[in-house]
Amino acid sequence: MAKPDYTAMLRALSEHHVDFIVVGGAGAVLLGAPIITFDLDIVHSTEAGNVERLLAALDSLDACHRIQGERRTRPQASPRRSSGHQLLMTCHGPLDLLGAIGRGRSYTDLIQRTVELPVADDVVVRVLAPRH
Amino acid sequence: MPMETSQPLESGAYSEDGVDLTMIRWMLSLRPAERLEVLQAAVNSILETREWNGQT
Repeated sequence: MAKPDYTAMLRALSEHHVDFIVVGGAGAVLLGAPIITFDLDIVHSTEAGNVERLLAALDSLDACHRIQGERRTRPQASPRRSSGHQLLMTCHGPLDLLGAIGRGRSYTDLIQRTVELPVADDVVVRVLAPRH
Repeated sequence: MPMETSQPLESGAYSEDGVDLTMIRWMLSLRPAERLEVLQAAVNSILETREWNGQT
């Protein structure tokens, strides 16, 4: 397994102008939770242009499905536009693409509940904020 | 749950349900990029330990 490099994965997505929200453990850490996670979970916009940018970012990350055993299957456009989950392995560690979370909440549903946080000098990401 | 100790706990170190608040306060004192560095270092440390023990 490639060692996770969260900043490198986020930088690749940012450099390709992908619209996404960091959720899950990494999102919790960015908000200050003292926990550990080994993958990066994101909810991405399924708008057609964004899916193309996402695929380009995944290509730059050498992403393939990580539950296919020895077969290295590359992500395709159609699954990226669904609300299902895609569990990928990249050259910078595990990356999970979540079409929706909770009760079918998509990027569009969640975007109002996000905060922008800088994770490097040149990278700012949206993170899902908890309900209060 | 808070562990029994012979030394008095610092006031406010734990929430009523036993959560260690000192770690949360420390993480909140960091910038987001620094929090990610903490996670990165912790994961690297765990993976290195697993490799050292031949568990990868």
